[in-house]
Amino acid sequence: MINPLERAPIELLHWFLNLLGSFGVPQWILTVVSAVIIIGTVIGVFLGLFALMSVMERKILARAQNRYGPNRVGFFRWRLCGLFQPVADGIKMITKEDLVPRTADQVVHFLAPVVMLIPALMVLAILPYGRDMVPADLNAGILYFFAVGAGTEVAVFMAGWASNNKYSVLGGMRAIAQMISYEIPLVIAAIIAAMVSGSLSPSAIVAAQGGFAWGFLPQWFVLTPWGFVACLLFYIAALAESNRSPFDLPEGESELVAGHLTEYSGFKYAIFFMAEYVGMFAVCGLLVTLFLGGWQAPLPFLVVVPTWCWFFGKICFVAFTMVWVRATLPRLRIDHMLAFAWKFLLPMSFAAFISAACWHYAGRGPLAWLLSLAIVGVPYLILGTAFSNRFAVSRRTYQFSE
Amino acid sequence: MICDFLKTCCADPMKFIGDWFVLLPAIVLLLAGGAAVVMRNLIHAALCLTLSFIALGIVFIALGAEFVGFVQLLVYVGAVAMLIVFAILLTRPDQLTKSGSAFSGLGPAGGAAVGFVALVALLGFIFTSPLAKKPLPASASAPVADIGQALMGDYVVALLAIGVLLTAALVGAAVIAMEDKQP
Amino acid sequence: MTLQILLAISAILFAFGLAATLSRSNSIMILIGIELMLGAANLNFISFWRFSENPSDLVGIMFAIFSIAVAAAEAAVGLAIIILVHRRLKSVEADDANNLKG
Repeated sequence: MINPLERAPIELLHWFLNLLGSFGVPQWILTVVSAVIIIGTVIGVFLGLFALMSVMERKILARAQNRYGPNRVGFFRWRLCGLFQPVADGIKMITKEDLVPRTADQVVHFLAPVVMLIPALMVLAILPYGRDMVPADLNAGILYFFAVGAGTEVAVFMAGWASNNKYSVLGGMRAIAQMISYEIPLVIAAIIAAMVSGSLSPSAIVAAQGGFAWGFLPQWFVLTPWGFVACLLFYIAALAESNRSPFDLPEGESELVAGHLTEYSGFKYAIFFMAEYVGMFAVCGLLVTLFLGGWQAPLPFLVVVPTWCWFFGKICFVAFTMVWVRATLPRLRIDHMLAFAWKFLLPMSFAAFISAACWHYAGRGPLAWLLSLAIVGVPYLILGTAFSNRFAVSRRTYQFSE
Repeated sequence: MICDFLKTCCADPMKFIGDWFVLLPAIVLLLAGGAAVVMRNLIHAALCLTLSFIALGIVFIALGAEFVGFVQLLVYVGAVAMLIVFAILLTRPDQLTKSGSAFSGLGPAGGAAVGFVALVALLGFIFTSPLAKKPLPASASAPVADIGQALMGDYVVALLAIGVLLTAALVGAAVIAMEDKQP
Repeated sequence: MTLQILLAISAILFAFGLAATLSRSNSIMILIGIELMLGAANLNFISFWRFSENPSDLVGIMFAIFSIAVAAAEAAVGLAIIILVHRRLKSVEADDANNLKG
């Protein structure tokens, strides 16, 4: 009962390669052409998603704030609900003047957007977009994701320091501190999913969430106690890694002008913007792969929908919740942000780790579920009550003026 | 001679690319390492060092040790390079040094001389030792599952010792760098 | 691709690190030199593993992994010490830390 649409992309690629092969093209050129087509498709899809996201985010934020978003830009005479806004934005970005401060470090300033965009795009290679649709099926795929993602921190520092601007340096240092702090809960949450699946390969992790318990319940990791906590940890850490609200202090307009992006205008800013959104989609994709079952359908009768539709649908849903969170929560202060990472998320990630291990070794039965729920619930209650008084709004005290 | 070189390339393109997959990052590694050593601007030196770490990680991946390559990228580029950069930013050596020079101790000539002597000695050992004359095995693979089994099996004592070491380093570094509490 | 070429590359990198450690005045540059030397040693281990008759023995890989971990710990502690020295002496030059001299 496999929908023919599901195999369509792969069949199309094979047909084209066979066509080229029948013209006598040698095998190694066919390999290169296949790789180029796959890479081009993946990048094209994600850039299209980025363009769509840039306008949909503004519209969703606007609706949350009881107003319309961009709804004018269209095609010739048709308004198309403003969905051609990215085209207008793109033209604006390209035609803006590219200002570089005279005392800025020219080479590093120029290279920072490039170093930011390359890891964001490289990371898309290991996500399983559908059944048998992984561009690169590495057996250490999750490790590759985090190893390549470490390049983003270098780019943020380069951007912050090269601008020769105190606000940029401060913004850059805060951004790196935030990224390093939140990388640990992110990696531990990913390791939890890898540990239970027994493999670091994303396709193996998706396969480990296959099947339906009792005939209709999906066996995704998010539906287990430890998986739910790990998914939330990964989600929060992903928000922080992409510098999205409520963790967007590095880009906070009211505090730091634009942080490490202050001295970037025109196309370089567009590249940073693109890298941030593509990174956000990539980490959403990893969240979907690790916890939400990847390309698997939630119910048995929905298997007819192609697997790549499910994958991108889930990514869009997670991205929608990220925009929702941005519309809802205020920005965190830097010391609150770091304290939250080190004092709450890190112990909770260890608790989820132990809980997952106990769930597996207690036999994955009802007792195991209760045990894992307890192991993850008790630290949550303790940490929650311990920190709830610290972050309460208190009467403001003035230090210097009495 | 160039025709012969091109012929060997096109005869087996995959092997040719495979060889240069190792040599090209190795050349970048040497250039970046050399640049990191001689640069006067400290941040440029740190960024060249980061580039050399990335190149070294790619060399590891090209040699078949993918896990080590990814760990190199994750730990060195993501953590050690950022630590060095943070330390440079926090200590702000923009001002001229007391002597005004970036070199001291043995000086640039002395350092280069010692380095050169060490290099000549090492190269002498490398090109005369029978240990280094091994042929290339067809392939070497280290799947992550095997590395995991080895870490938890034969090397578990070392793994636990590394855990203790890293915890001690973490606590120690935090205590050392902590600001003195105001009395 | 012979073992000798890989070992020669690692030797050159080691020589660079040695020259940096011995001749630079800034203590962070000295640390950079040390990291280069450690990287060269790791390259040695992995080269010998690649050319070994029994690659499934994984000794070279294990050594390299532990070496990377130890290098990270050493960089962290070293930089913490440098920051502390800077706080006291207002300078990170290795020549300025001479209170115990003479």
